[in-house]
Amino acid sequence: MGSDDKNFAVVGKGVKVKDAHEKVTGGIKYGVDMAVQNMAYGKILRSPHAHARIRSIDVSKAAALPGVYAVLTHEEAPDLDWEAAWFNYRGKVLDGIGRFVGDDLAAVAAKSEEIAQRAVELIEVEYEILPHVLDMEEARKPDAPQIRVEGNERDPYVVAWGDVAEGEAEAEVIVDCDIFYESQQYAPLGRNAAIAEWMGDRVTLWTSSQTPSELRDGIHEALGIPLSKIRVMALPCGSSFGQWWSNNFMLITVLLARKAGRPVKIELTNEECMATVKRRHLEHTRGRMGCTKDGRLTFARFDHLIDNGGYGFKDDVGFFCVDMWGKASHGHYAVHGINTNLLTAGCMRGVGDCTLGASVEQVADQLAEKVGLDPIEFRLKNQITGGDDLRMQHSKHNMKGSMKEYIAGIREDLRADWPELFKLSSGGTADILKMGAERFRWSERWAGWGKPNWSEGPRRRAVGVGTGAHVCGVEFEGSTSAVVRINPDGSLKVHCSVGRQGQGSETTQCQVAAEEMGVPLDMVEIETGDTDSCPWSHGSLASNTMYRVGWATRAATQDARRQLLEIAAREHFEVTDPNELDITGGLVHPKGQPDSNSRLSISDVLNIIRSDTLGQTSSITGRPAVPMPPSTTFARQFGAQFVEVEVDVETGQIKLLDYVAAQDSGTVMNPQVLKNQVIGGAICGAGFAIYEHLVFDDQTGAIKNANLLDYKLLRAADFPWNAEVLFHEDYDPVGPFGARGAGESPIAAGISAIHQAVYNATGVWVPLPMTPERVARALGQIQSDAA
Amino acid sequence: MTTLRINGETHHVDAASDRTLADVLRNDLGLIGVRVSCGEGECGSCTILVDGKPSTSCMMLVNQGEEKDILTIEGLAKGDDLHPIQQAFVEEQGFQCAFCTPGFILSAKAFLAENPNPTAEETAVGMSGNICRCGAYPYIVRAVMRAAEMLRAPAD
Repeated sequence: MGSDDKNFAVVGKGVKVKDAHEKVTGGIKYGVDMAVQNMAYGKILRSPHAHARIRSIDVSKAAALPGVYAVLTHEEAPDLDWEAAWFNYRGKVLDGIGRFVGDDLAAVAAKSEEIAQRAVELIEVEYEILPHVLDMEEARKPDAPQIRVEGNERDPYVVAWGDVAEGEAEAEVIVDCDIFYESQQYAPLGRNAAIAEWMGDRVTLWTSSQTPSELRDGIHEALGIPLSKIRVMALPCGSSFGQWWSNNFMLITVLLARKAGRPVKIELTNEECMATVKRRHLEHTRGRMGCTKDGRLTFARFDHLIDNGGYGFKDDVGFFCVDMWGKASHGHYAVHGINTNLLTAGCMRGVGDCTLGASVEQVADQLAEKVGLDPIEFRLKNQITGGDDLRMQHSKHNMKGSMKEYIAGIREDLRADWPELFKLSSGGTADILKMGAERFRWSERWAGWGKPNWSEGPRRRAVGVGTGAHVCGVEFEGSTSAVVRINPDGSLKVHCSVGRQGQGSETTQCQVAAEEMGVPLDMVEIETGDTDSCPWSHGSLASNTMYRVGWATRAATQDARRQLLEIAAREHFEVTDPNELDITGGLVHPKGQPDSNSRLSISDVLNIIRSDTLGQTSSITGRPAVPMPPSTTFARQFGAQFVEVEVDVETGQIKLLDYVAAQDSGTVMNPQVLKNQVIGGAICGAGFAIYEHLVFDDQTGAIKNANLLDYKLLRAADFPWNAEVLFHEDYDPVGPFGARGAGESPIAAGISAIHQAVYNATGVWVPLPMTPERVARALGQIQSDAA
Repeated sequence: MTTLRINGETHHVDAASDRTLADVLRNDLGLIGVRVSCGEGECGSCTILVDGKPSTSCMMLVNQGEEKDILTIEGLAKGDDLHPIQQAFVEEQGFQCAFCTPGFILSAKAFLAENPNPTAEETAVGMSGNICRCGAYPYIVRAVMRAAEMLRAPAD
């Protein structure tokens, strides 16, 4: 679909984001800022134990406290399971079992937060303490305490090709790995709140969410009420990165409001956001790769564990590193999802590619060193380019049968414009590696593996490069759609269900619609949060927004434009073929003649249908005419990042000195928006690489650093202010005007670049995150190992 | 009764003495641009200017605002005319989700009042009392540098 005409009017322009004014004046309203009249305030009773069943619960004292409207326990909660997107949660809203310290057990609605909190403390619970398990390996054992009725371990998700034994025999050099990853916390600055209000048997929920449609689905599943009675109004997120999709506290709010008979707001504290919602998985990779003496990968075999905590139910992490390194002749990757009595884990930005991907990068680097290739040469030999096979071809949850069966089930005429499936449609790392290396002056600054390029006293400097890939949206849980309406005055409204994460997608979606329709950007506005007006979409997750939602927005605009031009052809221009007409700057005109005297505005065209006698409607509504091709089978995004670090080998402190990030996300819709995405990803990756990790109590699993004082985030002076972003725009055949996804490859690339640079500075692969203490320990500066 | 001078206007509020200034600004006076995140003075989201000094209002009791000139983000623009620092944040897109932005802008105002001609390195350090989880830091530094330039330019 579409042309590759690069003479764009709006696409690629660094227009200011549409909500800039409300953002710099403090006017934008997040979940925590929302209020409705007569609302009550809710607080949640949380499990003090890692694993315990409520034997009895007495709420009489709590209910009797003046100002309390309702107490909700598991005894009145529906006996229904609900699921968040990508199995980030599976379970009941409340079922009388605490599966981690901090788990939701009951809730109170009261006149004020203080009264609600006091009432929570008056609930008397008798617990039956159950045995608990915090360690993934322990949880896999047959006699381990069982956390879920389905058992603790999911069937492995396997991606395999060729014959690994053959690849091992061919290998001349082999490197093994056994790597553990700590858990990163989303650490959402904006926290979150949910406000639920019932009108009869219909409910409206306001909350910060990236996935309004899936949140509506979750309420439907958890309460067993029709979707038509549920309206989600997703508000902007104060940072999210996967945290605010559909979360159990939102469903508690819905149930509590029904019981209280009035609107209820539950606002989470910073500690609740960090200790009771979700986090990145703890992960453990064991594996090996081998190559020939000239650096050609012959096999990759990885076995990767992810802990899902109490309610996560994932069997995979979106490890698209497999495809990026897919040139290995033989491969076998298995991912095992395991439940533990720790805080639920879910998808955080770059899920899988920050962990399993980092393992693959590290092993690849170690192989490159052994065969005497520099990291760029090794990547150029072994990473994928457009047209190459993709390795991830397996069925996914919620899809009927295998991916191939799913595709076979779609009518031939609806997949006419699809690219070849299971082949990379466009992009790759080669161009961004080359352009980044040149800009970074890599060859001058690279001193060799494990060798600093500068040292003075205890300080060592070295460079590193890392690569990252990720999917561009997924199709597993439903088809993404959008609606574009042409109003009688010629203005456009886009409706797509992606919430507002803050990355600027409201603006980039409007750019897509404006370009396709041929109107100025200020004629286009967008609604992204109201499920009563937005058709179903996966939301702003899995780097879905530009690629899949952008495709739907463009397809809906094409449909609306076609209808408009048919009216114009018939009623105004007296031509039979609407294709003889075009729209430029909001004016309809004969094709190739934008200055024709016959040109007229869209509102003039629509005037004809604003009459009961002539038309069925006073406005035009467009929607995609065909399903979007399944993008996991052909589309990827790529990042290559370059960093120079300085390591103090006595104190273990790491400074990031210089940074270049090269990105291939296809056509750049808005350069400043994309730069912010790339650098934001790099900084989140830098946090994962050198600071961020949750600390769990080794007895109870309780999180000990659920606050921004003890959980360290990077500050402005911790990252080079003059970091550069370079784009390579390999035009995509499916994405809107050639654009692809962007948000998740940069974080993965950044982690590996920094990790490798620290190795080059010190000669030691320091385990992530490379906090000063861990660096000093790895370098032998701290001898005792009490911890 | 506590008397607060906020954004040039005097307000008399009847607030319990154990409440924080941030709470009263947000919930009694509707100044939601005062963002509260960590609640322990660490993230800088609730930064306001108290007699020109950047202060984390989540760590102040309401009566600590008495007899002081308080500036919140709502008082910075003149009607529709953005303050040069706000304008610079728009032009450099020194934000993503923007939850932290009011705090950064007010910190920048105080920083530039002390150091109207900073280097980028000084600016990065000067902006390190605030956290931006989205990681817009390089563009925040550029926005503050651009604002410094705009503020140094002679008025017409």
